[in-house]
Amino acid sequence: MTSLDSLAELFRQADAFVISNHDFKTQGLVMSAVIPAKNLVSLGRSLCAGGYSLLDISTLEASEGFLLTYHFDNINQPGRLAVRLLAPTGKPVVPSLCDVFQGAEWHERESRDFYGVVFDGNPNPLPLLLAEDFDGSPPLRKNPKDLAPLSALGLFGQPQSVDPAWEAYVNPPAKESSPKAEKQA
Amino acid sequence: MNNLNFINPFSVREDPGSSVGDLYTQNFSRHAKTGTVILNLGPQHPSTHGVLRVIVELEGEYVIRAEPVLGYLHRMHEKMAEVKTPWQFIPNMGRVDYLHPVAWNWAQVGACERLAGLEVPERAEYLRVISCELNRIASHLMWWGAFVMDLGGVTPILYAFEEREKINDILQIITGSRLTISYFRFGGVSADIDERFVRLTREFIPYLRERLKMYKALVTDNVILRRRLEDIGPMGVDICQRYGATGPVLRAAGLPRDVRRDIPYGVYPKLDFAIPAGPSDDCFGRYLVRLFEVETSLNIVEQALNELPDGPVKMDKAPKANWKLPAGETYFAVEGARGQIGVHLVSDGGKTPYRLKLRAPSFCNLSLFAEAAKGVLLADAIAILGSLDLVIPEVDR
Repeated sequence: MTSLDSLAELFRQADAFVISNHDFKTQGLVMSAVIPAKNLVSLGRSLCAGGYSLLDISTLEASEGFLLTYHFDNINQPGRLAVRLLAPTGKPVVPSLCDVFQGAEWHERESRDFYGVVFDGNPNPLPLLLAEDFDGSPPLRKNPKDLAPLSALGLFGQPQSVDPAWEAYVNPPAKESSPKAEKQA
Repeated sequence: MNNLNFINPFSVREDPGSSVGDLYTQNFSRHAKTGTVILNLGPQHPSTHGVLRVIVELEGEYVIRAEPVLGYLHRMHEKMAEVKTPWQFIPNMGRVDYLHPVAWNWAQVGACERLAGLEVPERAEYLRVISCELNRIASHLMWWGAFVMDLGGVTPILYAFEEREKINDILQIITGSRLTISYFRFGGVSADIDERFVRLTREFIPYLRERLKMYKALVTDNVILRRRLEDIGPMGVDICQRYGATGPVLRAAGLPRDVRRDIPYGVYPKLDFAIPAGPSDDCFGRYLVRLFEVETSLNIVEQALNELPDGPVKMDKAPKANWKLPAGETYFAVEGARGQIGVHLVSDGGKTPYRLKLRAPSFCNLSLFAEAAKGVLLADAIAILGSLDLVIPEVDR
């Protein structure tokens, strides 16, 4: 069993912006972290070695960009985790986790189909659920007014630590550019 | 429109860079060895249980590579969830997995209840367990019949359907439907059980226990079935972990992981039931785990009926159709017949959920097929595919 302290340590090693505790009863998570995309694969390796398995990748469209939530659960001692990445709206490219969890391939292709997020290193980046000859844009929210800011979604539970840089990024002091629906690459 | 030059499955390809077939076939052929045959199994194939397509590369009768192609039944349930209120979305869940709709009902309704902090009356919790377990039995029986039919035994599915009809008759009394059930409501269930429900269920439990003995004698102990399943398609803990496989596939690998026990919901902690682990990680192990689970579910239904408390089946002031979810995030999982069903729900406090992600167990279980089918006989690949218990609408959502 990976204790909560050692999990927090793992997240800190991955330079997490935010590490939060959650109320399992209402939120179904024990802990979550927002990490920089470049550290995903190394964190995935540590989690894999600790007996974690990838449940799913849930992509969320917010006004700051695409928030990818990777849900993990331990196969020996249940305790669900969420590892989150933020991919910018203009060029959503994140590393692929297929080297560590081969099951990630389909989850990543699904996310690419419906959100246009590109997973760098996916071995088989073909459309998964969309038709092969479909060449429209992903079904994103067209009106920027429909996009909620991350802070309005109650995603971060009870934060243990918050990086000031993240705070500044999520709550920018002044103007906000309007994100546009991206054409699928 | 793409070209429709389907590849002739009986011709040996001379040129590995050939451009026949659609995008998937072409992409698949690019890595093919010379002298092998590329075969499209499906999307219309009796053993793919719906419209699944699998491209395989064959050397003689052996599968060298396989790749499932999905999306033929994609109905964008997740996008629909963003434009429907939680209430309006309940009927969608029965359509995601038509064999175990009650578990999907539970996953969505449970997620909303967790987020809003609703308390469900105890009687309703028991009714949820009873309906979910009866439905699980129906799902496992349906799988059993279809799986044995894939292997060439046509008779058992007729027995399985007879049993399944009885369960449908029982579930129809409280849910009003036989296939795409929407029985759950926020804060309870839609209807209470009656005399007839109890009588039919009480008759059904000993009846099925007797029939299971016949199944064992007729099918499980059959030497041909054993040869088709034993030592075929071993899937250990390692491959399950890498692909996120859950449910009977993981339990057959030897890990007693079951959401009903691990992350208890409803009244499962009050009920006494066994979680099988093993005995073997091959096709036969997965077969035995499911048959064992039928017995387990019968025990659960029996206990729940005996301990059923009196009371209302819906909370006071249960949410109405115009109910709004509070802002926040939750992940709620239940144990479906095929594994862990997960609902990731994010709400911004608006009329409709901001995001609803459905985690389908078949999706993850099917993703390991490509690796598991490497190097096996084509007939064994069909056995492996069947032993995963796939429901394609759930894979494609």
